[in-house]
Amino acid sequence: MLDRELKKGSAELLILSLVEDQPRHGYDLSKLIEARSGGVLTFRVASLYPLLYRLEKRGWIQGRWIEKAGQRRRRYYRLTPSGARVLASQRSTWREFAEAISRIAGVEHA
Amino acid sequence: MPEWPRHLNQEMRQHLDDEYAALRAGGATDAEAMRALAGDLDEVGAPSPVADVAGDVRYALRSLRTHPGFTAVVLATLALGIGANAAIFSVVNAVLLRPLPYEGADRIAVIWGDLHRPGVNRIPASAGEYADYRDRSHAFEHLAAYDTAGFNLTGAGEPEELDGAVVTASLFPLFGATPEVGRAFTAAEEQAGRNDVALLSHSLWTRRFNASRNVIGQVVAIDGRPTEIVGVMPASFEFPDPAVDIWKPLLLDAEALSSDNRGSHGYTALARMRPGVTLVQAQADLAGVTATFKTEYPGNYRTGFTATLRPLQEEIVGDTARPLFILLGAVGLVLLIACANVSNLLLARAASRRKEIALRTALGASRGRLVRQLMTESVLIALAGGVLGLVVASWSMDLLIGLAPDTIPRLREVTLDRRVVGFTALVSVATGALFGIVPALRASGAALNEVLKDGGRRGESAMHRRAGRLLVVSEVALSLVLLIGAGLLVHSFARVQNVEPGFDARGMLTLRLALPESRYTTFEQGDRFFDALFAAQRARPGVEAVAAANALPFSGVGGSRTFHIEGREPKRPEDQPEEQLRIVTDGYFQTMRIPVVKGREFTDRDRLSAPRVAVVNEALARKHWPGETPVGRRVAFSRDEPHWYEIVGVVANIKHRGLDAADRPELYVPYRQPLFSNWTVRPMQVVVRTAGDPLIAASTVRQDVARVDAEQPISDVRTMDDRIGRSLAARRFNMVLLAVFASLALTLAGIGIYGIVAYAVTERTHEIGVRLALGAQRRDVMAMIVAQGMAMAAAGAAVGVVSALLLTRVMTSLLFGVSAADPITFAAIPLLLAAVAFVACYVPARRATRVDPLAALRTE
Repeated sequence: MLDRELKKGSAELLILSLVEDQPRHGYDLSKLIEARSGGVLTFRVASLYPLLYRLEKRGWIQGRWIEKAGQRRRRYYRLTPSGARVLASQRSTWREFAEAISRIAGVEHA
Repeated sequence: MPEWPRHLNQEMRQHLDDEYAALRAGGATDAEAMRALAGDLDEVGAPSPVADVAGDVRYALRSLRTHPGFTAVVLATLALGIGANAAIFSVVNAVLLRPLPYEGADRIAVIWGDLHRPGVNRIPASAGEYADYRDRSHAFEHLAAYDTAGFNLTGAGEPEELDGAVVTASLFPLFGATPEVGRAFTAAEEQAGRNDVALLSHSLWTRRFNASRNVIGQVVAIDGRPTEIVGVMPASFEFPDPAVDIWKPLLLDAEALSSDNRGSHGYTALARMRPGVTLVQAQADLAGVTATFKTEYPGNYRTGFTATLRPLQEEIVGDTARPLFILLGAVGLVLLIACANVSNLLLARAASRRKEIALRTALGASRGRLVRQLMTESVLIALAGGVLGLVVASWSMDLLIGLAPDTIPRLREVTLDRRVVGFTALVSVATGALFGIVPALRASGAALNEVLKDGGRRGESAMHRRAGRLLVVSEVALSLVLLIGAGLLVHSFARVQNVEPGFDARGMLTLRLALPESRYTTFEQGDRFFDALFAAQRARPGVEAVAAANALPFSGVGGSRTFHIEGREPKRPEDQPEEQLRIVTDGYFQTMRIPVVKGREFTDRDRLSAPRVAVVNEALARKHWPGETPVGRRVAFSRDEPHWYEIVGVVANIKHRGLDAADRPELYVPYRQPLFSNWTVRPMQVVVRTAGDPLIAASTVRQDVARVDAEQPISDVRTMDDRIGRSLAARRFNMVLLAVFASLALTLAGIGIYGIVAYAVTERTHEIGVRLALGAQRRDVMAMIVAQGMAMAAAGAAVGVVSALLLTRVMTSLLFGVSAADPITFAAIPLLLAAVAFVACYVPARRATRVDPLAALRTE
């Protein structure tokens, strides 16, 4: 499990990237993070939703209630243009950061 | 603490729901899933649900929508309970609460002569007394007098007997009423010779005169006298009663005011108090007036005579208040039972909602917050029940009014007005709070820890069972009170119906004939009319006998008269005997089949030329000649020029006012031997005994009357059975309504018992399985379940019987022939309840015996 600080710093990037391709709802996001990280990353309810709220307030994502056939009404979040710019800049920052770490610590980059 | 938007809470709840479902789908038990979720919630702290009633309401609506079955059952229960209350309240409102439709109606009162003894405390006024009240009092703005009267309207079209009233000119200003067309009466028209004027009711005006304004000044024949129509009253004015079609001036000429007529108490006197004058002050003012009567008219007044003012509203509403309030109390009890049932449903549902409530608690909702949320839900559903209740009330209103006896005044004013709607809203909110509070406190009190410890089952269900049992016990007690009340009325009704009226009511047609004095000026003219009519009737096939009386039994009329007994001179005027007097044709007792106990009845030889005779009933004989025979004794009705009437027969007692009335002494005289020399034929009621259906005879009577006098209308055509039935209408109304409410209560209580027993069976499936596995007989299991249910019913019944003993006392005046603690009712009703309770226990108990021990054991 990652350090709490680290997780918090990366959380924004994770969510922004997951809604980049298609709008997703909160439960979907938490399941995707858990699954794709192989269970290493999990979000608790109490941190995920406030985070979504903060991102939306900054105008990076936008939530909308959508009802799909055979499903309950859910709030789907999609990436806004300004969110896309933030995502791009965060990605490059993280890439540089990760490369720097691997160069120093000799960690194999995936 | 940051302000979180509402959608966040909702998203989080959904998330937890999804997670729970996923965990369970993945094989986790309820408890494991709950534990996992609780771990997930560890760090929650920030989000606080927005304190917002609108949000509560939205949430409540959603919650009700997601449980349609539950919502429907609760709504139906509430709609019936609240609807019954709204319906009865609308009657109470119209009859008792709403002020009379006159301006300043609370200042209008009736003046009664009062000797302060039962039977003589509501003496109508004579013309002279009214004039004295009017001229010598100071407390009143207006005084008026009136008497109801029947008028024959002839001339234009079919002759018609109309209900009407003779009134002083002051009656209209007293009520603040003015004619819609034309003018009202003037005081000058209270004099003979000037009183041939009439006011029409709005309905008569439209029905008979096509609502034409040209009617003013038109002359019609009323009781054979040419009478000028001077005005039309608006539809809203219906005094003294809604049936009135014609008003004529009341005669207050010198003759009416003479001291000879001082004792002729025929008018109802009304007074409108000046603003600011209290009833007590007005009463004192009148006492000053009546104090002068005794000295001015020494022969006319018994000692102690005063005038008593009774508010008009009280006068009109009279004796209907108590039964209506009893009915209102009864529907109130039904609603309480409905509340108990709904409460129980909510408790059962609280068990299935514990996850939702635990999560809300975990998300930071305080207990007060949760109670508010749950109460919002209760009140909301109760309000919805109230709206449906109003629909139920408006449907049942016509039924209710149709069933109601004519004796309940102002029934036509019954509507769902603002007050009824307000009352219903208030009752609904109170109902919601009442049935919601216990479940809300219970549910919110179930802390998360407790729920999580063992999946919530044990703790929650124990609480539910305790509260639920208490509710069922109170339901049973309440319904028993209602059942016993209804039982007492049913028993009374059966008693009343079994009372013999003293005559043979079958196959009898009755009707009223009022010969106008203007055309039948002498007694002989009237006598010839009846002779001809009776002869024609007797010749008709199917008519067995025909007779007439001034007051038939169950006709609502009949009065008393003072008389003298030969050889007995009372020392004081108030000791003079006064009894019911009936004036009857010969053959009356034979026609009515009233047994002649001693002597003979009247024959056609009992005419003015023959010695005057009288017949008394057994009650009168016993009262005035105890232990001896009255036959051969003589009575007279005037001391100054006594015509002595010799008693020639004694007849059996009959019921005159109603089957539940006591036997009253009655004195009969032949109508051909009138009490006074200037007598004319007064309105008579004819009775025809027929071999077949009496109503078929009605048309032949009509034909025969028309043949004798084409101008003569007949009215009030009814069978005697119908009259007796009507006399029971008030009793039937109270009985049927209370019985309906009691059955509703019993059904609800039965459902309540069933619910709690069925729940217990579900709860104890495991235990029952163990017992069966250990060799218990299915019969034993069944007995155990039934015994527990019946124990609740017995506890409720015990409380109910004691409460009923205390409460049924208020009904004493409605009972007949049974005491308020009637042992038969108090024994039979608990048995009925026990039977219902047994069925309610037996059905779920049978299910308990079908438990498969192995399956039951596996479920844990």
